[in-house]
Amino acid sequence: MRLRDAPIQTKLMRVILLATGAALALACLAFVAHEFFTFRQGIKKQLYTVAKIVSANSTAALAFDSREDATEILDALKTEPNIVAACLYDNEGRLFAKYPSNFPDSEFPPAKFTSGTYDFVDGYLVGIEPVVQGSARVGTLYLRSNLDAMYDRLELYAFITLLVFGFSFLVSYIITRRLQKTITQPVLNLAETARIVSKKFDYSVRAIKSSEDELGLLTDAFNHMLMQIELQNMEILLFNQKLEQKVIERTNELRETNRELQMKNEFVETILDSSVHVIAVLDTQMRFTTVNNQFALVYHRTKADVIGKYYTDAFPQAKDSPTYYDIQRSLKGEYIHNPVVKSRVVNGYFENYFIPLRQNGEIYAVLILGHEITDIMEANEKLRLLNDQLIKSNQDLEQFAYVASHDLQEPLRKIQTFAQLAQKDLETAGASTQYLEKITAAAKRMAELINAVLNYSRLSKKREEFQKVDMNAILVNIETDLELLIAEKQATINAVPLPVIDGIPLQLSQLFFNLIGNSLKFSTNKPVINISARMLTGKEISRHAVPDRKETYVELVFRDNGVGFDQQYAERIFTIFQRLHDKQSYTGTGIGLALVKKIVENHGGYISAESKLGEGASFYIYLPVYHAPQVSLESIPDNGEGAGNQLPA
Amino acid sequence: MPANAQLQVTREATIKAVFLFNFTQFVEWPAAAHGSASSPFVIGILGDDPFGAYLDETIAGEKVATHPLMVKRYREAKEVRGCHILFINAKLLEQKDLLSSLSGRSMLTVSDAKNFTRLGGMIRLATENNKIKLEINAAAARDEKLLISSKLLRIATIFDPPDYQR
Repeated sequence: MRLRDAPIQTKLMRVILLATGAALALACLAFVAHEFFTFRQGIKKQLYTVAKIVSANSTAALAFDSREDATEILDALKTEPNIVAACLYDNEGRLFAKYPSNFPDSEFPPAKFTSGTYDFVDGYLVGIEPVVQGSARVGTLYLRSNLDAMYDRLELYAFITLLVFGFSFLVSYIITRRLQKTITQPVLNLAETARIVSKKFDYSVRAIKSSEDELGLLTDAFNHMLMQIELQNMEILLFNQKLEQKVIERTNELRETNRELQMKNEFVETILDSSVHVIAVLDTQMRFTTVNNQFALVYHRTKADVIGKYYTDAFPQAKDSPTYYDIQRSLKGEYIHNPVVKSRVVNGYFENYFIPLRQNGEIYAVLILGHEITDIMEANEKLRLLNDQLIKSNQDLEQFAYVASHDLQEPLRKIQTFAQLAQKDLETAGASTQYLEKITAAAKRMAELINAVLNYSRLSKKREEFQKVDMNAILVNIETDLELLIAEKQATINAVPLPVIDGIPLQLSQLFFNLIGNSLKFSTNKPVINISARMLTGKEISRHAVPDRKETYVELVFRDNGVGFDQQYAERIFTIFQRLHDKQSYTGTGIGLALVKKIVENHGGYISAESKLGEGASFYIYLPVYHAPQVSLESIPDNGEGAGNQLPA
Repeated sequence: MPANAQLQVTREATIKAVFLFNFTQFVEWPAAAHGSASSPFVIGILGDDPFGAYLDETIAGEKVATHPLMVKRYREAKEVRGCHILFINAKLLEQKDLLSSLSGRSMLTVSDAKNFTRLGGMIRLATENNKIKLEINAAAARDEKLLISSKLLRIATIFDPPDYQR
């Protein structure tokens, strides 16, 4: 445990013991160090004394060359066990005597003629003392002492010091243990009181004061604080009660307000969800915030699916659509009404309203109202088609009226004239027969005309089944039918092999009959009719604007070498009863090419003619090789005004 | 071999000369033996001088306490005056009362004569096994008020036979 986290008792003990221990250790160390240095000095002095005695004793021996005596004096050093070696040098520096006798001479250093020196050298104390008698130096003494005595002493001192240290520490520990209680006990009492207060939240307990020192002051302050807390607690309790009452009141008010708001919300939601219009609200970031049931129904999405999502995330296909731009414009404050929009999301048409929503003048959302008008659009389309048919019928009727007023009147006038003539000339024999013949001829022609008109009108009305038709077979049949005329006119018909297509057999026979008949009719002499055929796609047809560019067509070209016509009449020749040539020059009803055009249109094809007066004519016919079975509203292309305008939304 | 003999003599003489000088350190003369503090301390040689220049070289510049050392050479005993140490050539000891004529002057008498101490001389320089040994007649010295250091006495042979009479 670190000291910082230890209980105060331990802390105090540790601090005091640490300080005491440090002081004791320092004192002991100083003591030992002092002893060490003192003892060093001591043994130096001891050696000096020994050296002085020995040198004094050996003067005569040196002076009078008595080695035995010198050796004897040195031998006395035996009583000093620490002196391991000694010797005397004479004034010439020669070794004079040594101790012990077996000590090798070489171990002694060369003589030094200095005054007395005492030094620690290599773990020994070495003393060099001059040997002087009176005023004359007679030699030099060398002494070498080991330091065993010093180390023994030091060991002893260290041991004593350790004992003193241990004992002192023990005593100080015991004293500290006793004395620290006077400080820690009040603190512990205080801590215990604080613990009870914080654990039981009992602010009525009081700490016991045990002294008049700072701790006593602390205890007083603590008790005073507890009293203050107790008082404040009561105040807080009172305040809390008031606050709680207020909170209850406010909560009730809020609940009431919430209920009203919820009712309003439900009311608005009910209105929105019962609307037959698609309703959506987008915020300024173009995220859905509200959609109604109709929205979910029309776009096949649950409300949860789109609420909170970005417009472009919910409907990626509607990015950059007109509605997308309408929303952005409306978010800038514009009120927009888009009467017809084709949706890119679902198959249908919408009439959309974009209404910016403001709060304090700031736009925060856009409200979108969508009215699905698909049914209306479809009804409109049907109406338009019916109208077209009506216009066509009207035109036919007008033409018929024209026929009735001109062509049909002509034989009628003849019949009237010749009938009147026959009436006047009844007495005149012979002439009547001629008149009656003319009336018969006129009536026959009238019948032909009526038949032709009936044929044409039948083409307009009747729907017949498509089937595979071999055009080669049709050509053979037509050649057989016109055998006499071809022989009479000495005509030649050249044809390439023709394809098999989906078509109405009878109508295609009429087509070939009328075209070949037409060429034979408007021929001078020896007519030559060339029929060619080739397959191509819609986009390869240059003479007509073909919407279905991928459809496969067969191109039939009927080319003759007849009288031809001025190119400016290339359209007119397909109109019923339009004749370019007088009836006297060429026989015919004037319905043949109109019939051809009608048949081509019935097959979903195109026809055009090319010619120059007197240089023959070419008829270009394009027929789809395959027949699409249904002709219903779905296949009717957009009228164009709604293209690109869709509700997404 | 004269050369060897000469060398032998020289070595011995050298040692003896040093010994003569060393005696100044181990013997105490009475105060009356010195005239003044600066009066010379005289080593005298009576008779033929065996040391040649060695003794002079040995004592050159030396002092005994405040007294400068000097060497004096005497031919006859009556010439001896103011001398502190007197080396007596052995030959002169054949004169019967030489030693007694020199007494009473606190003079340390030294000689290498064989029976010098028996004759009443104080220190005899005896050659034994090629070494110079000292033989001291302590009583004779005491009579002349000369104090010989115990250290000197310890290394020397004390001549003190019971039959000795002064």
